[in-house]
Amino acid sequence: MALINVASREIQCKIVYYGTGYCGKTTNLQYIFSHAPQPARGELLSIATENERTLFFDFLPLDLGDIHGFRVRFHLYTVPGQVLYERTRVAVLGGADGIVYVADSSPEKLEENFQSLIELETNMRRMGNDLSRFPFVMQWNKRDLPNAVPEATLERYLNRRRVPAFPAAAVTGEGVFPTLRAICKAVMAGL
Amino acid sequence: MADWPKQVRVVEGGMEQLTNIVVSPGELEAIARLLERLAQESSASHVLLLDKSGQVIAAQQQSSERDIVALGALLAGAFSSSRQVAEILGERDFRGILQQGVHESIYTSLIREHWLLVVAFDKQTHVGLVKVLARRASDELERVLDRVLSGSAAAKEQVVNVQFRNSVENTIDYLFRD
Repeated sequence: MALINVASREIQCKIVYYGTGYCGKTTNLQYIFSHAPQPARGELLSIATENERTLFFDFLPLDLGDIHGFRVRFHLYTVPGQVLYERTRVAVLGGADGIVYVADSSPEKLEENFQSLIELETNMRRMGNDLSRFPFVMQWNKRDLPNAVPEATLERYLNRRRVPAFPAAAVTGEGVFPTLRAICKAVMAGL
Repeated sequence: MADWPKQVRVVEGGMEQLTNIVVSPGELEAIARLLERLAQESSASHVLLLDKSGQVIAAQQQSSERDIVALGALLAGAFSSSRQVAEILGERDFRGILQQGVHESIYTSLIREHWLLVVAFDKQTHVGLVKVLARRASDELERVLDRVLSGSAAAKEQVVNVQFRNSVENTIDYLFRD
């Protein structure tokens, strides 16, 4: 739920990166953290297991600075992707103003992507939100894999709403900022 | 989570509009007064008012702003997590959680399903006192926060106009360019 603090002249919005385990949600945030200009990026906070799987969430605040006298901030979160952690995903998803669905382009992950999208839709519906009418973009990650599923196939199976989708290879940074720009603008349009 | 408030309303054209929390100067002043009194009476190092998604609405604190933003995200995350635990245990929800440290402890309580009041206090202050004071502050905060939730569309329109949106979009393009 976006916070417009007229008194302290601040606007804060929450964006959640959602997707299956190892799809690259944390990698997106890590790339943004290391490549966004210094004054805009806050500290990257990760609640992870010892082997660096996300246990609860990653958190990266982005500060756009002063715009017409207002300080605009986007708070980026990831959810843990592992199937077992649905309850934790629900906890992180609460109050989101925008969602990026990160899909893994590996052929063996297609079914898992599909199931995880259904879970996202269900959880959003339980919170009273319809994804078709919500700031929502897709990212086709791992396009650098030699056997990546064709984008047309991902579009067909995972993007029946025809929301903006961005090919990406988060490890090299390809597609990371276009995705970020799109979701930030979609959230602003929804304010 | 079935009890999360509905966040969007349909506007012309079919796209839904996010419901925002709009805090006016008068409301923030009232909130700040209540938090300050709570901080003084409980000798707290931090008193924060958060919305459940982790946004910091107001804070009385001795830490840097950067730490406060992180604290908001972490404390709201811990509270959301505890509510999921409650659901698994068949409890409706936990209205408050206490995190006990050797020197500092934190008491977080829910206000009207939307907000979290956080008090960080040291071992000189008894937890029972913090709970009583937090309860009293919550009752008073409820009245102010109801006004915030009922929303001030006019106040928002003054800020988020076409010109403002264009400037934000330009800043996004500039800062997050490839």
